Amino acid sequence: MKEKTPSRIELLQGTLDLLILRTLLTGRAHGHAIAKHIQRTSEELLQVETGSLYPALHRLEAQGWIEASWETSDKGKRAKYYQLTTRGRKQLASEHSKWKAFSRAMGLILSPGEEEAR
Amino acid sequence: MNSFLRKLSWLRRRRQKEAELREELDFHLEEEAEERRADGLTEEEAGYAARQDLGNYALVQEDTRTAWGWTLLEQFIQDVRFAFRSLRKSPLFTVVAVLTLAFGIGANTAMFSLMDQVLLELLPVKHPEQLVLVAERGIRLGDSWGDNDISYPMYRDFRDGNQVFSGMFCRYPTSVALGYGDRTERASAELVSGSYFPVLGVAAIVGRTLTPDDDRIPGGHPVAMLSYSFWQNRFSSDQSIVGRQIVINGYTFTVIGVSQAGFAGVELGYKSQVFIPMMMQAQMTPLSDRLEDRSLSWATAFGRLQPGISIAQANASLQPLMHSILEVELQTPMFQHYSDYDRAQFLKNSVELLPGSHGWSGLREHMQTPLWVLAALSGAVLLLACTNLANLLLARATTREREIAVRLAIGAGPRRIIRLLLVESLLLSAIGTVLGLGLAFLADRVLVATYFSADSAGDLPVSSIPDARVLLFALGTMLLTTLVFGLAPAIQSAQADIVPTLKDRMGSAAAGKQVYLRKLLVSGQMALALLLLIGASLFLRTLANLENTGPGFSTEHLMAFSIDPSLNGYVNDTANVFFRRLTNDLQTLPGVSSVGLSTIPFLQGHGWSNPIIAEGYSGDPGQEQRPICDMISPKLFTTLRVPIVAGRDFTVLDTRPVALINETFARKYFPGRNPVGLHFGLVNDQSARPDTPNLEVVGVVKDLKFKNLRDPAPPQAYFPFWQDVRLRHMTFYLRTRVDPQQVMQAVREQVRRLDPNVPAIDLRAIDEQIGLSLKTERLVASLSAVFGGLATVLAVIGLYGVMAYSVARRTQEIGIRVAFGALQSDVLWMVMRQVVVLSGTGFAVGGLLAFALSSLIRSQLYGLQPHDPFTYVSAAVVLAVAACAAGFIPSWRASRVDPMHALRHE
Repeated sequence: MKEKTPSRIELLQGTLDLLILRTLLTGRAHGHAIAKHIQRTSEELLQVETGSLYPALHRLEAQGWIEASWETSDKGKRAKYYQLTTRGRKQLASEHSKWKAFSRAMGLILSPGEEEAR
Repeated sequence: MNSFLRKLSWLRRRRQKEAELREELDFHLEEEAEERRADGLTEEEAGYAARQDLGNYALVQEDTRTAWGWTLLEQFIQDVRFAFRSLRKSPLFTVVAVLTLAFGIGANTAMFSLMDQVLLELLPVKHPEQLVLVAERGIRLGDSWGDNDISYPMYRDFRDGNQVFSGMFCRYPTSVALGYGDRTERASAELVSGSYFPVLGVAAIVGRTLTPDDDRIPGGHPVAMLSYSFWQNRFSSDQSIVGRQIVINGYTFTVIGVSQAGFAGVELGYKSQVFIPMMMQAQMTPLSDRLEDRSLSWATAFGRLQPGISIAQANASLQPLMHSILEVELQTPMFQHYSDYDRAQFLKNSVELLPGSHGWSGLREHMQTPLWVLAALSGAVLLLACTNLANLLLARATTREREIAVRLAIGAGPRRIIRLLLVESLLLSAIGTVLGLGLAFLADRVLVATYFSADSAGDLPVSSIPDARVLLFALGTMLLTTLVFGLAPAIQSAQADIVPTLKDRMGSAAAGKQVYLRKLLVSGQMALALLLLIGASLFLRTLANLENTGPGFSTEHLMAFSIDPSLNGYVNDTANVFFRRLTNDLQTLPGVSSVGLSTIPFLQGHGWSNPIIAEGYSGDPGQEQRPICDMISPKLFTTLRVPIVAGRDFTVLDTRPVALINETFARKYFPGRNPVGLHFGLVNDQSARPDTPNLEVVGVVKDLKFKNLRDPAPPQAYFPFWQDVRLRHMTFYLRTRVDPQQVMQAVREQVRRLDPNVPAIDLRAIDEQIGLSLKTERLVASLSAVFGGLATVLAVIGLYGVMAYSVARRTQEIGIRVAFGALQSDVLWMVMRQVVVLSGTGFAVGGLLAFALSSLIRSQLYGLQPHDPFTYVSAAVVLAVAACAAGFIPSWRASRVDPMHALRHE
């Protein structure tokens, strides 16, 4: 059932939340825009599956980290816009630092030489 | 918390959320399509690509809904709705399943409700688990009125000398004549030590409770407390009751308070109506002053363990104290005349602590085994109901194979399918449980009315109304049964291999496996049914045996009542005169042919036994079976129509110490001799030392049952009642020329004419009384018969279901056989053979089970062995006939299969 494009990278568990929060840091956006933004910014390496994007958005909303409002899009249609809440910002900060620590740790183990050279 | 509230608010506007989600996803699709169009795709291609990118729209919706946080609940509601629909589509299955469960759960709930109240209910007091009963174990040199009773001085020694109890109390139940206003009635009293209420932690709702200060001087505390229900019924909850004077046994008492609601003493089956200080014992039980008597064990003593002390620790700690008490007792004059051997044995007596949290109850001890047996039987019925249901569900699963396969094919996970099927089972058992609770309530009402209310000991606190514990039990049973009968079929359905099922439903591999499982279940059902039928017929035959054996005297046109004039001041000579006058008065009544008196009522479990020595008999009186003694009037045996086989009856002229003995007594103590004219003596009678047997045997009567119908007649001795100075209570036996019911009113009036304040108690025909004495046996026999019948019906339905299904599935095969020349009888036998194999296996297992288990109920049987072959064979025959009848219908149908029709089928 699932086809994989070789160039794509599977998102790690839990990282989609972080990417959404980070995307919304620059301002409010609707679901499609968020997906496109992640795709474009990652130079098409990360493909956000719609099947996991909307559940994630609704989960974050339930947590109170983002909030939604219905507004008219630039093309004149009603769309659901998400934006970061204060708690969401805090969450993003803490998740971000956790991620940095995690990726450094991964780097140290996977390519010790490179890390030292830096 | 915040997120929980948000989810909750979403739950309320669910429809709106759904619409919004759809709008959000549609917007996404449009955006995506627009992007594709910008890339140069046509309108149609762009829309298609966008959809492909989104993936399964319904799945995305579903996953997103999960994020709303109430999927489980929602799916459950969906499942329940679906289950309702699918059950409505197969009404026959639903009715059979619900009824099966209702009977199974109902039977168990009814039993639990009874057991809970009779065996498990704790006393309504503070920390009942700390209470223990203090009993003496070993040989008794004096008189003992109950196995767990001790003497008052011994209680006092324990109370003052122990290190393990935070408090102790003792009590003794007795009937009193209670007068208030202008009426006198017989009331249930409890003599209690002053520590009773403080140690139990029971408060007064009006006035105050008795305290140790109300229990110091013998005869010096004419104060009483009333029980709540007595106060409610007789004094209409009169708040000004405190200070009111009431008359008890002719003494004026002052009411000082009313005990808290729900408390009526510490004995189940004995509702105390009035509480009186122990020190008033001599006034309350005329003719006996026992407070200083160490040779008479009559009071029940309870202790409250100090926190942190276990029963075992307390037990160990009390033994030295017990030993020192015994040594003191041996020094007292009343123990002087015992042999050194007896004295040495006596010093080995020990104290035993029994859990007292349930209070004390003769009823409990008596009912314990029968109730557990019935509970086990009802449990077996429930197990059978569960197998039947599992069987029905497996059959249903086969007809639903395709539906389930389609569900699996379009993406439902096996877990979801299992959940769906389990919800269906849960729904069935929920409906069954509600019905079952209703059935249990009705059944308990009948049982309580039949077996627990008309008890002479007073009304029992057994109610048919389910309380929280019963409801909880029913709920637990419901969940457990759901799992037991629902899980296996559900798992099997969900694991089905869908491809062959979708291609062709007949003869799939899964169906074959199911048939095997179902046959196994049917064999199990047959085994359980046989077990229950054997149990039922053992109990039914026990009851029949007991009814046939009879008491050893003719019960036709025989009636009895009890009377205790000592409570109204008739003692010694006046009591004697009272009894003689009443006897004469009753004899003149038309319809009464003769009257006899006995101080101990027959067949009610009472008895007074005494060690004896007999002329020319060398056995040790302490070691031998003691004769049961009774004080009687002349003509008692004429009235009972029990022949005097040697010698003569008493006459009123007998003033020397004389006795009648029964045949067993004669055989035991005077073997090979004519006992008339020989002598024997009661061992602990102070005036008659063992070496001077002073009682002359004047006659021998035929044996009759004394305590109950079960036990064979013990050695018995009878004495003239007027020779006993401590006479209190008498049971009058009247042989009538007409139906006893016709003379009852006249008898009652005759008693009232003699003294309106002395009521006749338990006035009834002997047949009725014998019926009452067999009520436990009748309860067990009738309930086990009901359970056995239920089990047979369930097992037969199960067998029929499996055979009918198996024949339907093999229609084609049978058609081919017939086409190739098989005779109708061949086909008939082919199917019947299966019935025989299935039932036969079940019978073998059930028979072995019964063989192994029935010795557990040996003590409950009478007149037959637990392995009685006739019972086993007859139960098996009954079940076999039922099974063959059930199996014959599908077999016959199979034999009538038209090959042409069968081969075109499918």
